[in-house]
Amino acid sequence: MSETTNSVSRRTVLKGAALGGVGLVGAGTLLSSCGSDSSGPVTFTARTNVENELKIAQALADAYEAETGIPVTMQGSGDTNAFQDGISQYLQGTPDDAFQWMAGFRTNFRADQGLLVDLSENISALGNQIPEGFVSGATNPSDGKQYIIPTTWYPWGLHYRKSTMLELGLDPENIATWDDFMKLLEGTQKKGLIGYAMGDKGGWEAMGTFSIINVRLNGYDYHIDLLNGREKWTDQRTIDTFNQFALLIPYMNKNFLDISWDGMRDLLLAKKCGAMMMGSWWANEFKAKSQEDYDDLWIVPFPEINPAYGRDSIDAPVDGLCVASNSANSEGGAAFAQWCGSEEGMLAAQAAGDTNLYANTNLDTSDYDPFNKQKLAVIGEAKNVMNFLDRDCRNDFAGTIVGPAIQNFLRKPNDVNGIVDGMQAAWDALPALA
Amino acid sequence: MAATSTGVKPRRRRAFTKGDRLTLSLFVGVPTFLHLTWVWIPALATIGLSFTFWNGVQLSNIRWAGIANYNTIFTASPVFWDALRNNTYWLLWFTCIATPIGILLAYQIDRRIRGHKIYESIYYIPVVLSLAVIGIIWRFMLGPTGLVQVLLGYPGIEDAIPIFGNYQINTYVILTIASWRHIGYIMLLYLAGLKSVDPSLREAAAIDGATEWQAFRKVVFPSLKPVNTIIIVITVIESLRAFDLIYIIYGTSTGWPILGMLVFQNIYGQSASMLGAAYAVILLLLSITPIIFYLRTVFREDR
Repeated sequence: MSETTNSVSRRTVLKGAALGGVGLVGAGTLLSSCGSDSSGPVTFTARTNVENELKIAQALADAYEAETGIPVTMQGSGDTNAFQDGISQYLQGTPDDAFQWMAGFRTNFRADQGLLVDLSENISALGNQIPEGFVSGATNPSDGKQYIIPTTWYPWGLHYRKSTMLELGLDPENIATWDDFMKLLEGTQKKGLIGYAMGDKGGWEAMGTFSIINVRLNGYDYHIDLLNGREKWTDQRTIDTFNQFALLIPYMNKNFLDISWDGMRDLLLAKKCGAMMMGSWWANEFKAKSQEDYDDLWIVPFPEINPAYGRDSIDAPVDGLCVASNSANSEGGAAFAQWCGSEEGMLAAQAAGDTNLYANTNLDTSDYDPFNKQKLAVIGEAKNVMNFLDRDCRNDFAGTIVGPAIQNFLRKPNDVNGIVDGMQAAWDALPALA
Repeated sequence: MAATSTGVKPRRRRAFTKGDRLTLSLFVGVPTFLHLTWVWIPALATIGLSFTFWNGVQLSNIRWAGIANYNTIFTASPVFWDALRNNTYWLLWFTCIATPIGILLAYQIDRRIRGHKIYESIYYIPVVLSLAVIGIIWRFMLGPTGLVQVLLGYPGIEDAIPIFGNYQINTYVILTIASWRHIGYIMLLYLAGLKSVDPSLREAAAIDGATEWQAFRKVVFPSLKPVNTIIIVITVIESLRAFDLIYIIYGTSTGWPILGMLVFQNIYGQSASMLGAAYAVILLLLSITPIIFYLRTVFREDR
């Protein structure tokens, strides 16, 4: 409680302080090096190069400035894959104060290297606004502290357009078994559409399908153990997962290595495919196109394969804001990150047209639109929540080994044994994490 | 230098005034300093790092790895052999197809065939573009919804024919794109060389009854030995250092692996080892051989 009053009184003080600095607003990054007190201007990197998402990020910056008087300079990260790959170098250079990032291994590893600011105080200042599950999801197991303020999250599931399925006379909402699912894909394909849209040019998109089949077939524990080296890729259960995955390939578009996730999204936007397995973070693009397109969008959980595990697990990655240790105004960055995680911040994003789910208990979910309610239902059904393969697993295995291996598998589904042998050999050759 | 040596050596010595010496040492010293700082010290550091495990952040975390990184590359990284194969394809394609075409074009243009100025400009234009820009151009043209797809009658993403992700053709497509620039480059170099060939040599050959091909093979080609060496070395180096084109088209996902890409992916990426440094050392060893060969030839010509 005292912390909340504290931050409010500080904010009032800052408003006055900022008035004097109004003339300096335009100078942005250069000036932020003047001091690391939280009253200085804040720089903020949005992890996106999508125009609509940048607009939402800018709205956040504007709303923060309107509320606190502290100017925030927002910039996009450019290509998100390149930003992800270069994050360690970015954080050792001259990073912005706050940046959008992903919870899980990708945060904790950098926190262990001292590249991120400890945000535990900001998390506790937000108190019970942040649901307990998100706090524990944001906690670095190696020191019990939080280095990311969770803001948005989304489920991975089968996305489709209600109108398309209605036209085809299919009912994805009631598929209970794998056979039903196969019939659905066959039905879509027969009508000249792509049954199961796939774009794996980026090397990570198909990880979603691999993970969900693995947890459906072999269970959550096996999947997490596999990603952390406690189970073997050469295990028959992993091979079974790949073989099950292979059953989907005939229903995919043939150019799956030529298009990326945005290509998949565009296929669904253009009504060229039936189902598509993806996280729903791009739903904003549907809304930006038109309300009808957004209303047409739907998500259901990936169907059950092994009755022993039902539909008990889901990939529901949490995104949020981190603060760079090397930044010019890390205190200001932390205050901004905290604000983004607060009710005010999330309302500002919602007002700007963000349809993501928010990790804040103060927000009223009763007036959520049907699609968001469905997303909550899809997540609510699952007992185990995963962070997505490349956040549940060390990065020098996920990006350089698993990604290319799945691409190879999609090309040569008959060579599963060779592929898993190569993956296991690569895992065995990894040095211990320092 | 040889022209002025007329037996007045003592005087020439004295000609180096203090100012001369300062100028000379600046002219030699500054580039040497920059070269050491930006090329050899990082290169030696890379060689050192390739024998360690390190994530590149805190120096205190660095650990001696011996040859473990090399061991991983040679025994547990099938992608290394794919990359080596692709670099070899690149080298063979440039040596056997792109470079000879460049030479042929240079020869034709040098013969002043009709419209040679226009041809010269057309073939030279891609050379002013970097390979990264060329990658962007062709990715737009060949990718889904690109111009080529539209012209082929596949305007939508759903029926775009696979090109970069089609392993039956992508090697040829990439090498053709790379050649688009390489041919013009070689043509220009060779054209410059051809201009320096004494026309009387050709005339003499013609009078002696040599055919066009015989004159080229027996007279012109041998007299261009220095240019030929440069072209061989450039062809080898261009093939080994290839990176930008592939990065633009495939990103870091190693869709079409080459050695330069593996260096980048494993250093710039998110590794706990120094696998990227080890790849860089392998690439350095592969490239340094033709460079030594090149330098030796150049210095021999100078002597």
